[in-house]
Amino acid sequence: MSLSFGRTGVVALRVIRQLKRDRRTIGLIVFAPIVLMILFGYALSGDMSGVALGLVDGGGHAALRAHLESIKDFNILYLGSESDAEKLISEGRLDGAVLLSPGLVQVLLDASSLQISGAIAGAVQVGTSREQASLVAASPREGTEKEIPIITRYIFGYDLEMMDTVGPAILGLVVFFFTFINAAIAFIRERSQGTLEKFMVSPLSRVEMISGYVLGFSLFTLLQSATTLFVVTFGFGVPLRGSALTALAVVLLLGAGALVLGSFFSNFARSEFQVVQFIPLIITPQIVLCGIWWPLQSVPEFIRPFSYILPLTYAAHALRAVMLKGAGIGDILYPDLLALGIFFLIFFAAATLMLRREVG
Amino acid sequence: MGTQAAISARGVTKSFGRLQVLDNLDLDIPSGVTYCLLGPNGSGKTTFIRAIVRLLRLDGGEMKVLGRPVSEVNEIYSQIGYMTQHKALYPDLTVQENMEFYAGLYGLAKQKRVERIEELLRMVDLLEHRGRLAGALSGGMYQRLSLACTLIHEPELLLLDEPTVGVDPRLRQTFWDYFDRLAGEGKTVLITTHIMDEAEKCQRVGYMRAGRMAAQGSPEEILRLAGLKPVLRLWLAEPEKDAALLRAEGYEIDIDDGVVQVRLESHALIKEILAAVSPLDMRLAEPRLEEAFLRLSEAA
Ligand SMILES: Nc1ncnc2c1ncn2[C@@H]1O[C@H](COP(=O)(O)OP(=O)(O)O)[C@@H](O)[C@H]1O
Ligand SMILES: [Mg+2]
Repeated sequence: MSLSFGRTGVVALRVIRQLKRDRRTIGLIVFAPIVLMILFGYALSGDMSGVALGLVDGGGHAALRAHLESIKDFNILYLGSESDAEKLISEGRLDGAVLLSPGLVQVLLDASSLQISGAIAGAVQVGTSREQASLVAASPREGTEKEIPIITRYIFGYDLEMMDTVGPAILGLVVFFFTFINAAIAFIRERSQGTLEKFMVSPLSRVEMISGYVLGFSLFTLLQSATTLFVVTFGFGVPLRGSALTALAVVLLLGAGALVLGSFFSNFARSEFQVVQFIPLIITPQIVLCGIWWPLQSVPEFIRPFSYILPLTYAAHALRAVMLKGAGIGDILYPDLLALGIFFLIFFAAATLMLRREVG
Repeated sequence: MGTQAAISARGVTKSFGRLQVLDNLDLDIPSGVTYCLLGPNGSGKTTFIRAIVRLLRLDGGEMKVLGRPVSEVNEIYSQIGYMTQHKALYPDLTVQENMEFYAGLYGLAKQKRVERIEELLRMVDLLEHRGRLAGALSGGMYQRLSLACTLIHEPELLLLDEPTVGVDPRLRQTFWDYFDRLAGEGKTVLITTHIMDEAEKCQRVGYMRAGRMAAQGSPEEILRLAGLKPVLRLWLAEPEKDAALLRAEGYEIDIDDGVVQVRLESHALIKEILAAVSPLDMRLAEPRLEEAFLRLSEAA
């Protein structure tokens, strides 16, 4: 059976007609981003007030470390390496970082917020002099001879508010959530209504059917992401430095992935209500591990590989690059778009294979 | 298609776990007929239909559909119209939109699509409801719409799983007339039902019990096979005398509460009987298929 665009289009048109008639869905498209922005943007921003300081502990400097940890305004994030620290500062996620190694203290500071940089530098100064003092107390002769060297380096990051960090991820999140749930429900209905059985006995192939769904839902993804983009940028003042079209392309690919994932998982639910049970299993881990609310670098290492198989991680990263740094398609092809593409293809194949004709 | 069988099944078996649902089933359905597959609930009718369209794989036996081995049936799906017991429709689409969807799936051209939808909606009496959501239709209307959607692409072979449940008698007659017309055009219509009355309207009937064919043939053949004959009941002025007279002529006679009952080999004999006796009143009781099947399945 050859692939027919006509039949694919027929399925797409039907899906659009159904979605259009679903008031709940239309409401969700508009209100979900507003609610999520308020929830994540404001609620989390309370937590994140103060100075975000990275600490790479390569040994030594117990007194300096204790001093930095004792400062109330500092939120300390323990990092594994210098490059992690650099990356997070350049992304505007950290205000600075202190790298400790025996006999050396390096300070990385964000050049874009001088006030905070000053506070960090000052704290390091105070901390090292205390350390010096305790060394002198322990062995008066050696301590005075060796000053602890401090190397300070500036990195160009930018001054971001929590809203800005969260905004791009919300865009990915609402599309992923909406498409996954709706697709799973739609496929469960196809089964319970008997329409799936009827498809199986028609010229429509499984690939055409899933493609039709992808096409139909894509139109809604566009509508939804345009709305969300509007809410996030105009309503909450999140910058859009790159092209809106690039952002929409990322979201379309993410939405397509969520659709085939939903179709695949619909095979494991008996009713529409059971779809709800997928939320803690499929959606929540992505929210937690996508690297938006707290940086991936701070996720424990044994969980981190999970972050890198979840599509929202890549979508959020790409959207942040597009919206905040003005990245173009070329900048996010690898790894983000590639990963989203692979994810889509894998679950497209899986969803297609699960639509078996023969049973028993 | 000509004289070729639309469906032929030889020694077909299927079980679900330990439950043997089709048990060495033989069945032939010639093309161009209306065939009624009759049987109580759970006898395996739906299973058989699903095996025809290969929604399930047989454990054993051979089956041909429109001259092709059942393993190739997916290549002729466009010639098959399958109405499932679930009445596959989208409740959140309108009557018209449901029809358009199925028309599109089978690739009907625009002009053709408009004509077919019009014609079929008229046949199932839903023309004035075309703008309503399918989910808001009554059970019978839903059923009718499902039938219309199944017919949209003018299939050669129609497989209708309990299509008349919940359809009122007047409309049911319209359906049967339509099915007869289709059969006249050389199409094959297979209908399952658990209602006996329906079967009498078909050209051929098969009675299924516990996964086997207990009997098949035309309704008349089935009656004959079961040894059932029409009975003429006569109210006579002198029942004893006339009964003796008819007996002498070789008729099979019973007297029940003063009413003389004659079992007829054929309807043509009524004339001869009326030449011999003059009843005050009379009534003809046709044998019921139900009775025939009951007998046949007891015998089997
Ligand atoms: N997929 C299945 N798995 C297990 N049992 C089944 C399945 N389909 C049908 N059956 C069983 O097979 C028997 C025949 O069912 P079915 O063909 O639907 O009968 P009918 O259509 O004549 O009412 C029933 O006992 C039914 O429970
Ligand atoms: Mg059945």
